[in-house]
Amino acid sequence: MTLNRRTFLGTGAAATVALSAPRAIGASHGRPRVVVVGGGAGGATAARYIAKDSQGEIDVTLIEPSRSYYTCFFSNLYIGGFRDLSSIAHSYGTLASEYGINVVHDWAVGVDRDAKTVALAGGGSVPYDRLILSPGIDFVDGAVPGWDVTTQNRMPHAYKAGSQSELLKAQIEAMPEGGVFAMVAPPNPYRCPPGPYERVSMVAHVLKEKNPTAKILIVDPKEKFSKQGLFEEGWAKHYSGMIDRIGPDFGGDKVSVDADAMTVTIDGAVEKVDVCNVIPAMKAGLICERAGLTEGNWAPVIPATMQSRLDENIHILGDASAQGDMPKSGFSANSQAKVAAMAVRGALTGSRIFPAKFSNTCWSLIGTDDGVKVGAAYEATDEKIASVSSFVSQTGEDAALRKATYEESIGWYAGITADMFG
Amino acid sequence: MSTGSGIMLALGGAALVVGVAYGVNTRSYRDAELQVMTDRLARVEATNAALRAEAAQTDALTARVAELEAALTDAQRQPEVSAAAVEAPPTPQIDAAQPGLGNAQAGADVFRKCQSCHSVGAGAEDRVGPHLNGIFGRRAGAHAGFRYSEDMAMMGADGLTWTLDTLDAYLENPKALVSRTRMNFAGLKAAQDRADVLAFLRQYSDRPQNIPEAAPTAMAPEVTLSDDILAIVGDPEYGAYLASECETCHQRSGADDGIPAITGWPEADFVVAMHAYKQKIRPHPVMQMMAGRLSDEEIAALAAYFRGLD
Repeated sequence: MTLNRRTFLGTGAAATVALSAPRAIGASHGRPRVVVVGGGAGGATAARYIAKDSQGEIDVTLIEPSRSYYTCFFSNLYIGGFRDLSSIAHSYGTLASEYGINVVHDWAVGVDRDAKTVALAGGGSVPYDRLILSPGIDFVDGAVPGWDVTTQNRMPHAYKAGSQSELLKAQIEAMPEGGVFAMVAPPNPYRCPPGPYERVSMVAHVLKEKNPTAKILIVDPKEKFSKQGLFEEGWAKHYSGMIDRIGPDFGGDKVSVDADAMTVTIDGAVEKVDVCNVIPAMKAGLICERAGLTEGNWAPVIPATMQSRLDENIHILGDASAQGDMPKSGFSANSQAKVAAMAVRGALTGSRIFPAKFSNTCWSLIGTDDGVKVGAAYEATDEKIASVSSFVSQTGEDAALRKATYEESIGWYAGITADMFG
Repeated sequence: MSTGSGIMLALGGAALVVGVAYGVNTRSYRDAELQVMTDRLARVEATNAALRAEAAQTDALTARVAELEAALTDAQRQPEVSAAAVEAPPTPQIDAAQPGLGNAQAGADVFRKCQSCHSVGAGAEDRVGPHLNGIFGRRAGAHAGFRYSEDMAMMGADGLTWTLDTLDAYLENPKALVSRTRMNFAGLKAAQDRADVLAFLRQYSDRPQNIPEAAPTAMAPEVTLSDDILAIVGDPEYGAYLASECETCHQRSGADDGIPAITGWPEADFVVAMHAYKQKIRPHPVMQMMAGRLSDEEIAALAAYFRGLD
């Protein structure tokens, strides 16, 4: 059965009664089972909300390979020296002990949609009544000629946080005096639209202190990027003369790299660089493709419930989903997870269904105490998650407001990680 | 006497426990114990009486100080106020549904409630509260040299500026607009009092935009929240779902680092605060957006839910 927002809004109490019926699905084998793949902002949140709000009525399993999860959000602040790596690390102990979630540290490698089971790399499989996939992103093969996962330690992406972030930070700090840091920026759509540019700000912040004659080169296939006016104003203010960006007009979209020679070739012109941060084009986490749930690079979903358009028993959250107007961000995934959790509980236990509401805010740090933000509120239409209102920080804001914005981002980090991990 | 009877009840309970614990053959022991407690109660009562006497004396002294201060400030302000009073228009016909132009002369009387902490006019200085010369058009928490509460400073940094509307909202319920303001004042519930005192204060501001002076900005603001809105009974289950969106930033535990805690608020304050964001009187852009799309019922549902959290 497809959960449809209009149905519920239109029929009110009657819909709630109708929803009680699927309770029988779980009755044959005890409690209904929800399996969540991916323990990030989407998956951890969904698992926690389903376990918390169903009060034991639903059996929740969370499959996540990492025991220590490093949030991608705020990993740029680690690179800039504003956070310790340990401050962005989280474990799943509370989800297991306080919420009774069965946490399995393994890779989910396939989905048998007919048998309704998830196969694990370590062997065996896990059955589900509802599956939630929140696998984040993987990189498109061959997106940047010369780069693949075998070269990722010489040219780190640092777009999944943890050891890659550490590696990139170490390379920046070891740059020769007056050296060149290059970033190959990704094409749209990709995880965290302001992320590459916040990263450039953080790298510039480190270099300004330790290596002030060093240069930063951004090779960018996009004509425009998120918060561009705010970043460019901040770069001119804090890091004047340090940052150059080559857009598609000058070959930013025709780039290849050579990890042995440490060169970046832009429309035929070879540049020798000292550090090269390659952020390739992205696609939904591989499990979506393996489950046959993708169209193109992403997995399309029904906005009101985040159900896959190709399988009503599977919900897809966060970066991996093609949902409409929301950016691919931790905040978005967390927001989508709560709508999906409500829909899953409604389907499995007959709990009340309310209108889907989504929101997102992305804070970025440009320099010390210079924070900016952009955000929007969203609602589900039949065809997509649609933006209904938005705001963005303005250029020329005073220092007090920028500092308050940065402090707010610290509060948000504490809030969302508590919301994810309990 | 509520304190005394509370202690009596507590002691009664303790005596009962003592009796049960020592059994039937310890009656004299129990009587002795009871005597000790009765003595203790008497001492507590005596202390309470002394404290009450002291408090009464303090109240009397505080009242006297306020009286003296009022007289003193009146005397200082006399020349300016009388000049304004001569030119002030007569009190207009007041329609209860739509209060008219504020009356500066009446406002001078209303201001007596404020002047133990605030001064205004020639030679005004910061006291418990900042002086109020030039308050219209000033950013909140921005008067140099005055130490504001964190919340007031944050509201100013977020962009709260004192206009007719924002001052009216603040005076109606200070803590609803600025949650932990140091201004320990319950608020002026009568719209006409607020319009009057604002008309009085505007005489000491030289930036007259949005100030009750002449049409079309002359009209005092309408009361923005009807009793109907305040009377809506929120659905806490719906509130729990809606709150999940708030809890991405505002921690359910009530922890407060960079983003304020919103648990345990009185429902009316919560409702007023959310409507103040919805009407863009409170300045924060994220909150204006979040509140802007919530219906009156949804705001009530959230208030009901958060009220229930510790």
